Amino acid sequence: MKAIARLTLLVCLLAGVCMAAGPSPEKPNPGEELERAGQVSGHYGGNLTIGGRAEPKTLNPVIATDTVSREVIGRMMADLIDINRASQQTEPALAKSWKTSPDGRMFTLQLRKGIRFSDGHPFDADDVVFSFAVYMDENVDSPQRDLLIIDGKPLTVTKVDQYTVRFILPRPYAAAERLFDGLAMLPKHLLEKSYREGKFVQAWSLNTAASEIAGLGPFRLKQYVPGQRVVLERNPYYWKVDSQNERLPYLDELTFLFVGSEDAQVMRFEAGESSMISRLSSDNYNLLARERDRMRAQLADMGPSLEYNFLVFNQNDLRSKKLDAVAQKQQWFRELKFRQAVSAAIDRDSIVRLVYGTRGAPLWGNVGPGNKQWVNTAIPHPQRSVDAARQLLKSASFSWNQAGQLLDSSGKPVEFSIITSSSNTQRMKMATLIQDDLSHLGMQVHVVPLEFRAVIDRVFQSFDYEAAIMALGGGDADPNPEMNVWTTSGTSHLWHLHETEPASPWEREIDQLMQQQMITLDYGKRKQLYDRVQQLIAEHLPFIFLATPNILAVANPRVGNFHPAVLDPYTLWNADELYIRTPIESAAAR
Amino acid sequence: MSYLGRRLIRAAFLLVGVSILCFLFTEMAPGSFFDEMRLNPQISPETISSLRSRYGLDQSLVVRYGRWLRSALHADFGYSIAYNAPVAPLLWSRAKNTLLLATTGMLLTWLVSIPLGVWAAARSGRMLDKSVRVASSLLVSIPEVVIAVALLAIVVRWRVLPVGGMTSMDDEGLSQWARLQEIASRMLLPTIILTLGESAIIVRHLRASVLEVLDTPFVQAARGLGIGRMRLLFRHVLPVAASPAISLLGFSLAGLLSGSLLVEVICGWPGLGPLILDATLSRDFYLVIGGIMLSALFMVGGNLVADIMLLACDPRIRTGALDAR
Repeated sequence: MKAIARLTLLVCLLAGVCMAAGPSPEKPNPGEELERAGQVSGHYGGNLTIGGRAEPKTLNPVIATDTVSREVIGRMMADLIDINRASQQTEPALAKSWKTSPDGRMFTLQLRKGIRFSDGHPFDADDVVFSFAVYMDENVDSPQRDLLIIDGKPLTVTKVDQYTVRFILPRPYAAAERLFDGLAMLPKHLLEKSYREGKFVQAWSLNTAASEIAGLGPFRLKQYVPGQRVVLERNPYYWKVDSQNERLPYLDELTFLFVGSEDAQVMRFEAGESSMISRLSSDNYNLLARERDRMRAQLADMGPSLEYNFLVFNQNDLRSKKLDAVAQKQQWFRELKFRQAVSAAIDRDSIVRLVYGTRGAPLWGNVGPGNKQWVNTAIPHPQRSVDAARQLLKSASFSWNQAGQLLDSSGKPVEFSIITSSSNTQRMKMATLIQDDLSHLGMQVHVVPLEFRAVIDRVFQSFDYEAAIMALGGGDADPNPEMNVWTTSGTSHLWHLHETEPASPWEREIDQLMQQQMITLDYGKRKQLYDRVQQLIAEHLPFIFLATPNILAVANPRVGNFHPAVLDPYTLWNADELYIRTPIESAAAR
Repeated sequence: MSYLGRRLIRAAFLLVGVSILCFLFTEMAPGSFFDEMRLNPQISPETISSLRSRYGLDQSLVVRYGRWLRSALHADFGYSIAYNAPVAPLLWSRAKNTLLLATTGMLLTWLVSIPLGVWAAARSGRMLDKSVRVASSLLVSIPEVVIAVALLAIVVRWRVLPVGGMTSMDDEGLSQWARLQEIASRMLLPTIILTLGESAIIVRHLRASVLEVLDTPFVQAARGLGIGRMRLLFRHVLPVAASPAISLLGFSLAGLLSGSLLVEVICGWPGLGPLILDATLSRDFYLVIGGIMLSALFMVGGNLVADIMLLACDPRIRTGALDAR
């Protein structure tokens, strides 16, 4: 009787496991040109739960702008050429190979044959042509559209045959293959109707049925529970196999849990309700590190990120604005020696220690040590020196009164405010430390915390600020995305927006160098050009660079192939390779 | 015009007033939904301005309000920029959870408050009364957010209850009963937080009101006639003392709803709270306005229910309503 009961229980358990599992992977067949993922191994099964800050807003890859949506969509979709987050180099994805014309303007991509969308429908060149038509359509207003417009002209896409596509760029564009990363290929058979009817923007909302959404990523939509979670399940037709020729992904399901703040994410992780946190602050990292023995969590410190935090002074043209008080102070902000003095007086090591708990790196330029391929290591890293700062100020006709207060040449005390986002505690701390550092020079600095969008509004629109602490970067490692920051006409040229002509010879030189590096195809020559750009920036300090945080992540000990990277998405870039270890494997891995 | 009719007209004016204020405040708030895109150097200002005009953000406040009011009259509260979807279904999918939490909180609040308030008044000056007064004073003076964070810390530290969400991830395989238990266990913490804060106020009001009635001649007469203590308190004193408490019901419903939005954010309950907070931070204006209007609607509804109950229970109000005609 007991044996029958046991057998029944076992059958029930097995049935439960089978019910919980996602669709079984299709056996690879010879007609499919699959990608073999190097040395990857693992085994099938399991659900991985990731705690996230918010819920995604859409599942439409063309219009998604928020990080959370893009993180979820990225697991369901695939691009033609991918940037490997570990090596930071491009690698074949849906395009198995590509050829570039000698002038660097024409790209011919060979698509993989025989591969299918997650609903089983075959993928070919028509889907690629359709996808690019959607991305470049003015009426869709895709945020990625601007990437595909070079010198005001769109790139052209033509179908050569069923599995060959040709892209022609308006002019040579260095590292053009990186443009394809993140541009998800869309299923024409599912989206053409809504596109033709002008309803593309409404397509693939969170309430769309799972059967109406298909992609070429490792997972597909299974369930969305409003305000709680999105569950993805294995795409049984995914186009990558492991070293054993087993079709990836290993996981049955991938669940994104909407948790809220980072503290809440840590709480849910500690309670065992989630298995991974993609980005941790140093405070929470250190907290989890203290409990490492109890929790046996896999903590990963990937080193400095590509993000750069900086202090920027308002050098905008304020003639059309009624901002006389700010305009009067701009004579200080435009004085190079003033900015150099501020830079010399800032204790970057203290920022790294007190803001990032030593899990960060000080910065003296726009490219940090995390970007190994492009960083200019020749840029000097001077130690903090209040004396040097005082000398610089003195040589620029600044003086001090008896109370030690810094005065400008007209005898006016040097006093300004720094605005920063109140929701970013790290930048708030930086502002306070800088306030203290600059007080040693006799400057009176006021820290003004503002709501994030109020900061953006002041810096980009109203120009009603004196100095601000912000951060940029963090996307691709390549210099091209930085064009809009450093060139005069750039839309993120924050210290002086809407500049029509370069205000100084060094800005003119940067404009020329950035344009030149964009059309130079040889890496070595590009690197030389970009090194010079970094040098000019470090010398003239339009931004005063502060520090960059390390990329910190954590996973449950049972998560296999956990290899975070410094490029976004930090932990899920290899979601297709992640697997759930058995208890024995977990113990062995420790 | 009937008492109820007048109340309804007043409620409609109130809602229009709230909507105007919402539009004014959202106009005054710096920044817009698309501002975050400005930080991405790869997105051009032309794309951002084109997106702004697609969602009508480049129109004047009056035009936007006029359009919104016209569509709101047809139960369409606008379009969420972030979700690219109509606001009403988005709000409704969360409002159900908020209502579940708020109603459970309200029921529990009244179940706790009525006996405690009456009992404390009946034993005025004794140990129990003193304890109730001290506890309620403390709970009234401590902000709800502090109570919530403290209880959350205890629950996480001792792992007494599951935290966050409404259902567990493997709820698909669960029976209805097990699912109900799961929801109840996840709802317990936010409900306790809501009940603690709200019952402290109601207990104090009810106690004062019952104390006042206990001093009246009819209660003394009833005592003299030998009516039992419990019967006297709950059958004769409570209905008379209930009038101010019933007025409080409307406020308490509104208070619980606004309080539950905060508690939802802290406890990770998937209601309107996190949605409205996220929408406010990202300047998803129509979703914010829709959320506020829904909360205002709940508040007006709660007060209306309280008015109807008062009308039914208190003859003085009925007479007043008749006089006013």
